Amino acid sequence: MAEKKFMVQIESLEKYFGEEKDRVHVLKGISLDIPEGSLYTFLGPSGCGKTTTLRCVAGLERPDGGKISIDGKAVFASGERVYIPTNKRPIGMVFQSYAIWPHMTVFENVAYPLTIQRRPKSEIRKRVEDVLKVVGLHGLEDRPAPKLSGGQQQRVAFARALVNEPKVMLLDEPLSNLDAKLRVQMRFEIKALQRRVNITTIFVTHDQAEALAISDQIAVMHSGKLIEVGTPHQLYSRPKRKFTATFLGLTNLIEGRVLELGGDSKPGRMETKKGVLSFVPATGLQKNQAAVISIRPEHIPVHKEKPQGLENVVEGTVKEAIFMGDAYHCQIAVGDMLLAVHTHPFLNVSPGEKVYLHLDPQSCNGLPAEDIEGMGESMLGD
Amino acid sequence: MAGRFFNSETLILFGCSLLVFYLAGVPLIMLLYGSIRSAPIGEPGATYTIQNYVKAYFDREFYLLFWNSIKYAVGTCLVSFLIGTYLAWISERTNTPLKKLFVVMALIPFIIPGILSTIAWILLLSPKIGLINLVIKELLGLESAPFNIYSMLGMIWAEAIHLYPLVFLLMSAAFRNMDTSLEEASLSAGSSTFTTFRRITLPLMRPAMFGALLIMFVRGIEAFEVPALVGVPARISVFTTKIFLAIHQFPSDFGLAGAYAVTLLAISTAGVLLYQRLTRKEERYATVTGKGYRPRVIDLGAWKYATCGSAFLIFLLAVIFPVFVLLWSSFIPYYGVPSWELVEKLTLSNYKYILNYPLAVTAFKNSFYLSIGSATLVMLLTSVIAWITVKSRIRGRIFLDNMAFIPIAMPGIVLGVSLIWVYLTLPIPIYGTIWVLLLAYITKFMPYGIRAASASMIQINKELEEASLASGGTWFQTFRKVLLPLLMPGFVAGWIYVSIIALRELSTSILLYSYNSTVLSIMAFDLWEGGQYTYVCALGVLMVLLLVAMATVARKLGARIGIAD
Repeated sequence: MAEKKFMVQIESLEKYFGEEKDRVHVLKGISLDIPEGSLYTFLGPSGCGKTTTLRCVAGLERPDGGKISIDGKAVFASGERVYIPTNKRPIGMVFQSYAIWPHMTVFENVAYPLTIQRRPKSEIRKRVEDVLKVVGLHGLEDRPAPKLSGGQQQRVAFARALVNEPKVMLLDEPLSNLDAKLRVQMRFEIKALQRRVNITTIFVTHDQAEALAISDQIAVMHSGKLIEVGTPHQLYSRPKRKFTATFLGLTNLIEGRVLELGGDSKPGRMETKKGVLSFVPATGLQKNQAAVISIRPEHIPVHKEKPQGLENVVEGTVKEAIFMGDAYHCQIAVGDMLLAVHTHPFLNVSPGEKVYLHLDPQSCNGLPAEDIEGMGESMLGD
Repeated sequence: MAGRFFNSETLILFGCSLLVFYLAGVPLIMLLYGSIRSAPIGEPGATYTIQNYVKAYFDREFYLLFWNSIKYAVGTCLVSFLIGTYLAWISERTNTPLKKLFVVMALIPFIIPGILSTIAWILLLSPKIGLINLVIKELLGLESAPFNIYSMLGMIWAEAIHLYPLVFLLMSAAFRNMDTSLEEASLSAGSSTFTTFRRITLPLMRPAMFGALLIMFVRGIEAFEVPALVGVPARISVFTTKIFLAIHQFPSDFGLAGAYAVTLLAISTAGVLLYQRLTRKEERYATVTGKGYRPRVIDLGAWKYATCGSAFLIFLLAVIFPVFVLLWSSFIPYYGVPSWELVEKLTLSNYKYILNYPLAVTAFKNSFYLSIGSATLVMLLTSVIAWITVKSRIRGRIFLDNMAFIPIAMPGIVLGVSLIWVYLTLPIPIYGTIWVLLLAYITKFMPYGIRAASASMIQINKELEEASLASGGTWFQTFRKVLLPLLMPGFVAGWIYVSIIALRELSTSILLYSYNSTVLSIMAFDLWEGGQYTYVCALGVLMVLLLVAMATVARKLGARIGIAD
């Protein structure tokens, strides 16, 4: 990524809400670099600070410390007392409610960023037409805004954000107001649209499935801190933090203590209640450290007979097996622990049955057991 | 373009605070200051003194004055409350026939200026010339008139019948917003309708009832028209007329007026503060839920004809009689009881006289400009204030909100005294011009504007405004192109209300006008004092027509500019 330019850079961003006594520390030193042309997602549970960070980039919130630059130019820097107001920043924004002005037509809504700059009429008409074509709303120019469907309103919001050719497009949970079916469809459309116009885009969501589907890169946030950044694939299959593993998708956690870290192609070894298990260590994991093994339910093969010559095999009893069409979702008791396991629908398992689980070392991610402070209740995302 | 740690929001807050301080804070300070000066500032030998208060409080008649004011305010408050609540209950909670019509009729008195309704009641209940008295005397062959408007009871009646529409509005809203499932729960728990009313309905309505009573008390204590036109000839003094007379005597005693004004201000402020404390919690709930409950309608059976009849009786007294007497008197050549003889003499000469009266043209112009000007400026100013208090998170916004609400506790006559002090002191040469009236109106009606503007502002999603900023709009562009159009329904409603009450304003104007800045209500006052009853009525009818026309035009325009809601 050496030659790649960063479009948005955030350095140790700090933000408090409230005054004096009931001040809440909402952003605790967030630092991020967002590559030009990428679709970058802020993901986290509600209250993690993702929307606040986005609003700081937009200038709708004023941070209490740190620095933000867009295209190499500082828009906020607490040290140099720089603060460029929202309307002077090269951004386009799509709001959660879409914020389509109900007293204007589609054309007037989309043309707004140009009309307030007093561009010539002909140029405005041309550019609005072009951008409406891009979002697929051509021909609806004169429709009053209140007469649009949810999906159409969203397209208007996108058109309005894009019409002035901003350097960064900011999307604040733009899909959360749509019904489930349309939401899935719009994921693809946003992705395709972003590729077509090739604009650096920041996308805020609490929906991990949405984040995985749409992003080039994801920044996972929690309690005002940045947890981890990576591609969807990296974060899902090789998380470095326990929070990432639990927040993205379903996972099983097996507690233990690191015996050996391994190295090169050799797996590490961890002492757990289920015996010594092999695993792939996350960077920064130390020997003798309290750790967890995270393994996804769909990565656990189930055997009815004890398989031979394999590492990490444990014995369990099927407690519950629910047929989901594409898989059985099973709860399997291993000693006093319940593991979630998704099996192939052809492997017919029934409650009470004794099975053997192969915890493939390549699928076992060894992560530090101690994550950040203040975690716990909201560990499991949706 | 170099960004600074400085933003336009702070500038706007600062500008607004300064303006509001000048409009509301300065008069208050000058009033307090003036009441402890021996003479207006600038006059030689003016010193600090408590003589004004000594003179006011140790006057032999002070306690009579105090007692009269309280009696008058409490009486007004109780009578208007009973009428207003009864009508609200009938129209919201019972199956009385024709109740839709009641809502319209209950609001008609709103459009009749206080001075006209007072005049109408004198023309109806005066012992010598009152129509009702004359008719009853004739019919029953009585020696003396059965009613006398020139008494405490007469004054209370005239004031209460003018004020009850406000109670009607407040109590209708309270009845409408009550969750009737709470009553149904009580009924299903086995208690009777009466027990439910006593144990559930009444306690739930109590805050709204106390609120309405307090507002009516404050309105009663600051009323001017009835005490001036009825109380003065009847030698029944209240604070407002005492202040008026202290300034209108020769030489004017500004200090004494100030001392009385401070006392009156203290009473009305206590009422307003109590009201705010009482309703704060309730209003907070109201904005959170704002559910539209379907009120449970009580089937009155045959009684519904009785309630319907009683409502019509009230409207006969409150609307039809006063309107009739005004109309009738405006078309007759000299004042008299309706008779065939007079019907044959019906004439337009009163209207001709008014329209050819040079001062009348000035008064119409002044009132029209003041009404439109103050309504527009009040709504523009209060839209910005509402934005600051509702939308922004600027520090100090609560202070601005409180300051802008000061005038609600200031009786009109007190504001008049305060502004006399301001412009006798400050070297701004607008005393006696139309400009001082404009400033007075803006100050006085600012709280109503804020109420209308904030109610609409709360409903505008913050993101609609942020979307404009994110599109590159400046604060001013955002305000003009996004917020104002979205505010339009509330803006127009507030505008209509302010322009109506501005057109009929009397109690402040009467201390501040000069010949060239005469307004309609003052002209009516002067014509009445001069005994020209028929001319006053013609002027009054024209005034009401102007009010109706303005409200209609404003509503039409507002519908075209704003979004259809």
